[in-house]
Amino acid sequence: MKTPVVQPAPIPAASVSEFIATFAVVLAVIVALFLFDTALARVDIRGRKSYAAREFRTGEQLLAQGKIELAIEHLRTASTLDDDNSAYATALAQAILADNRPDAAEQMLLPLLERDPTDGAANLAMARVLAQEGRTEEAKSYYHRAIYGLWPRGAHENRIEARFELIDLLAKINARQELLAELLPIQDDSANTPAQRMKIAHLFVVAGSPQRAVAIFRELLRRNKPDSAAYVGLAEAALSLGDFATARADLVAAQKLSSDSTALQSRIALADSVIALDPTQLGLSQPEQYRRARNLVQMTLKSTRTCLTAQAPQVAVALDSASAFLVSPAPADGRAQSIQQALSVAQSLWGLQRTRCAAAPPDGVLALIQNRIAQ
Amino acid sequence: MAAIKLGALPPRLRKLVEDLRRKEDRLSLLLSLVIGALVGLVVVAFILLTGRLSALMYPAGGAGWRRVLVPTLGALATGYLLFKYFPLARGSGIPQTRAALFMHDGRISLRSVLGKFACCSISLASGIPLGREGPAVYMGSGLASVIAQRLGLSRLQVRSLIPVGGAAALAAAFNTPIAAVLFALEEIMGDLHAPVLGSVVLASATSWMVLHLVLGDSPLFHVPGYHLVSPWELGAYAVLGIVGGLASVVFVKLLLWLRARFEKLPRASLWIQPVAGGLTVGLIGYFSPQVLGVGYDQVERVLNGDIILKVVVILAALKILATSVAYASGNAGGVFGPSLFIGAMVGASVGAVAHLLFPTLTAGPGAYALVGMGAAFAGIIRTPLTSVIMIFELTRDYTIIVPLMISNLIAFYISQKLQRVPIYEALAQQDGLHLPHRTSDAQPELLRVSTATRDAPLSLNPDMTVSEAAERVTDTVFESWPVADELGLVGMVRARHIEAAVNQGRVDMTVARLMQIARRSAGIRSVDLPHVHNDQPLSRALARMRDNGHKVLPVVSRANARIMLGVVTFADIMKAYGVESADELDYREHPDL
Repeated sequence: MKTPVVQPAPIPAASVSEFIATFAVVLAVIVALFLFDTALARVDIRGRKSYAAREFRTGEQLLAQGKIELAIEHLRTASTLDDDNSAYATALAQAILADNRPDAAEQMLLPLLERDPTDGAANLAMARVLAQEGRTEEAKSYYHRAIYGLWPRGAHENRIEARFELIDLLAKINARQELLAELLPIQDDSANTPAQRMKIAHLFVVAGSPQRAVAIFRELLRRNKPDSAAYVGLAEAALSLGDFATARADLVAAQKLSSDSTALQSRIALADSVIALDPTQLGLSQPEQYRRARNLVQMTLKSTRTCLTAQAPQVAVALDSASAFLVSPAPADGRAQSIQQALSVAQSLWGLQRTRCAAAPPDGVLALIQNRIAQ
Repeated sequence: MAAIKLGALPPRLRKLVEDLRRKEDRLSLLLSLVIGALVGLVVVAFILLTGRLSALMYPAGGAGWRRVLVPTLGALATGYLLFKYFPLARGSGIPQTRAALFMHDGRISLRSVLGKFACCSISLASGIPLGREGPAVYMGSGLASVIAQRLGLSRLQVRSLIPVGGAAALAAAFNTPIAAVLFALEEIMGDLHAPVLGSVVLASATSWMVLHLVLGDSPLFHVPGYHLVSPWELGAYAVLGIVGGLASVVFVKLLLWLRARFEKLPRASLWIQPVAGGLTVGLIGYFSPQVLGVGYDQVERVLNGDIILKVVVILAALKILATSVAYASGNAGGVFGPSLFIGAMVGASVGAVAHLLFPTLTAGPGAYALVGMGAAFAGIIRTPLTSVIMIFELTRDYTIIVPLMISNLIAFYISQKLQRVPIYEALAQQDGLHLPHRTSDAQPELLRVSTATRDAPLSLNPDMTVSEAAERVTDTVFESWPVADELGLVGMVRARHIEAAVNQGRVDMTVARLMQIARRSAGIRSVDLPHVHNDQPLSRALARMRDNGHKVLPVVSRANARIMLGVVTFADIMKAYGVESADELDYREHPDL
């Protein structure tokens, strides 16, 4: 190191003893100051943390009461006073998100996640922000990090909550395969409440696995007292499986247990319609089967024309084929073959509609029957 | 201080101490460590005590009237203390530090340091919107000075420790050890190449370490990772540089204007003047509490994107007004912190507008607040290099460095154009002090040897006899003459030595032998060639002339020191400095010149 002094210094005026005494005093002051500062810093930190905790509690209460702006103020104070506590900053970000400012919430969460990428709460908050912003792929990734991240308290409950939120997101975007993949690990979790199991069963229906849903609903009915919602769930699963008679029976059972039967009445009416129109129902005569199959072609053609035009060659061929079938006379013999032909025409039209129409086909009688035929 | 009997000291300890005092390198190393630790601890105590005091003055959920009363009473208390006991503790501390360095041989009294500590603690805790960094620099430099004086160090040693203490203080106050080093050199010393660099670095690092030991590892501001969204965004940052520069000029001019007005008031009112600042701050704070105090919590909010355009614009304007009045009226505290606050608000305003107009091309307003801090700092304090490094250290975010440099330079340029005298220098001038500044220091350094170099005369040959040489050097104004063989320059011979040899009848002696005798008689054993290079400052040439006694020096190539490019004479150097009469001097008649 270069000396800051330019010219060679003679022995300075102070005596050796004064020199040593000065150094001794300075060192003593350093030690004393260090002790003083450390004690003062401890008091300061303790005071700040305690104040921050109070502010955090107030903020949470205000948030629960829906007073978002006030809650943000208190949570922000808590977060500023105790910046080591990521829970405060995460809560603040959640409140800002509730204030419909996902950009600001995201900015708050980024440094937290940079500091600790395994922070479960921060990952969950970020997933919520991204989900609200419509960035579902990124949101899914953060939900997974939240599920497998670290939670200082209530790890299991928080992970379940994160998984359910992810499941809801997947159901919302109709990602059936991923939804099924998320449902499978938690279907047998004994810690799930009946309400959660009911939700899982419903989501199994959405994910295209109604058999699993049936098993869960039956188990719920076996373990708990008869419940209208469980019967409705069973009915939905039965509809999805194409077992329309069972579905109707379950709906009737649900209606008996329910105080408000208006909604159930419409579902029963739907089940009745399906039963009346289903050409694959057992015990029908061949002419009746043929009549129903022909009716199905007519309904499918009508539904298809609402969203498709004959401009594409493949669509034109399918529409022509269906129209030709409908104008052709009823066959005198070989009805089984004609029934098959009708079902085939209806299926191909339905397939086109599903793949080419922008809007998904309505979940009604036609869809249920087509699903049944597809099975 | 208790005296220790010299006789009671063990001889080995006594020898050790005496050795230490003689060997300045070691003493400097030791003092840097000690000053770094002491200053770091004092600054930490200052920060913590101010915080505790502030918490007492503003309890949670306190009534609004406190925001009017507390700054007013705080200003009244400090005003009286400053007037009665600590007149040097008024204001920032940076001009006072520089005054001590350049006018008082680095002497600062312990009383001033204690006064600065007490007055600034009260002032800042009561909500006066001034910064703690300038006062910390004064305290650090003061402590270094006090220690050096008590150790009985030389005048130069005391002076050299001023930037050491200043850097240590800033490293602890701002948590920016590198920027502290740069600031000490760039602002306090006014010379980035000052020879105290090593000591300053060591003290700054020690102080920073102490800060972390006591308060833990946490940056002053937690900032999300910002980045440049599009190259077009640099245009928005350039606009920020312009706005930041203009805001800096408004702030500095307003502060200086108000200070000049206050200085015209009767001297007897000096103790009550700070109350005007305190009351103004209180009234502003009643409606806008964010303006009170240093305001770093508000800065952090803005840096994290919590911005409402109207609010940040108002806060920038109110802070400029409140800080100007508070400082001008004579309260204790600096302008470092307020510069960052103003910059953050101005940056956030520009950023919010830019993001509103070009949402896909620009980052959020938080990024602009960050860059705005640097721009305002560069514009107000006028240390562009320090400001870039400081923002980087404050936020530990490297990605924003290019926009930061662009904005800083633009703000610095605008500020320099519209407000020629930097703030600290202008404040010192208002106090009647004319301290050296970077521009004035740098000016002579612009005078290089090349500006005074003239063509070399025909060289003498070392094998030439003295009588032949005497014929060549007749009627010359050169006091010394170059001697060269076939490989190039070998040295310089004085004309008066040749003349003396001729007078003594030693006409057959060779020039080489004469040079050898001259060297020996001067006690020079080395055969090193006295020389300078064209790119060296003229002051270096003067120093070389002083060292070897020649009034003429060869200017040689850096690639080969035996290739002579010309000569530089004492008279030419004087002429280059504007001392015209030196041109008329005749060295032969005045050999002592």
